[in-house]
Amino acid sequence: MDRTSSILKIFTRKLFSFILLYGCYLISHGHLSPGGGFQGGVVFGSAIILLGLVEGVKLTEKRFREDSLSLTKNVGMLVFIFLGFVGIFLGYYFLSDFLPRGEVGTVPSAGLILLLNLTIGFMVGTGIAVIFYRIVRHKA
Amino acid sequence: MSRIYAATLLLILAFFLFSAVKLDYGQLRGGVSEYYIARGVAETGALNMVTAIYLNYRVYDTLGEATVFFASALGVFMLLRKNTGPAGRQEEGESDG
Repeated sequence: MDRTSSILKIFTRKLFSFILLYGCYLISHGHLSPGGGFQGGVVFGSAIILLGLVEGVKLTEKRFREDSLSLTKNVGMLVFIFLGFVGIFLGYYFLSDFLPRGEVGTVPSAGLILLLNLTIGFMVGTGIAVIFYRIVRHKA
Repeated sequence: MSRIYAATLLLILAFFLFSAVKLDYGQLRGGVSEYYIARGVAETGALNMVTAIYLNYRVYDTLGEATVFFASALGVFMLLRKNTGPAGRQEEGESDG
């Protein structure tokens, strides 16, 4: 009983990679243009949610398994705290910027901000996808 | 007697609330915004001033936000389990967290 229209399916398959690409752009350019880890992560998660709504959660779970998504979320949180402790080990304070700076206006210009955006982006995207899986599959 | 205490307490509370309302919030205080605008790019290297504040100057706040999000995702993960049977019976071989 598959009543999803083929227009939705085809467009979702075509758009999926572009939505992921847009999320990557938002995360990696978060310190240069509007965007950042939270917003880019939500775009990531919305791509997976769109695939789950159109193709069905079972098919989506074969590609994006809930275990690995949940593992990415947990590891993201740990990496965030670990990056904070690296600052202490190198002689600065907690979560201080210990990386060298590039030229202002390029992607590696902001040091630790890019890494923190990456970890936040992965954490938020996978976390939202995991919340979506759980809510959709829940039978009251 | 207790009503007199309660009334006095309410009056004191109302006085503090009223004095808080009377404050002038229309003007900037402390000058921290001028500091961020003047030296933010040089100190953090981020052109986006919002990112420069929430991931460099106020990064502990962002750590708290990430923790809140993580806790909420974990709460959904725990509450809406896979294959929840009647009376909270769980299937075998399930992992949490």
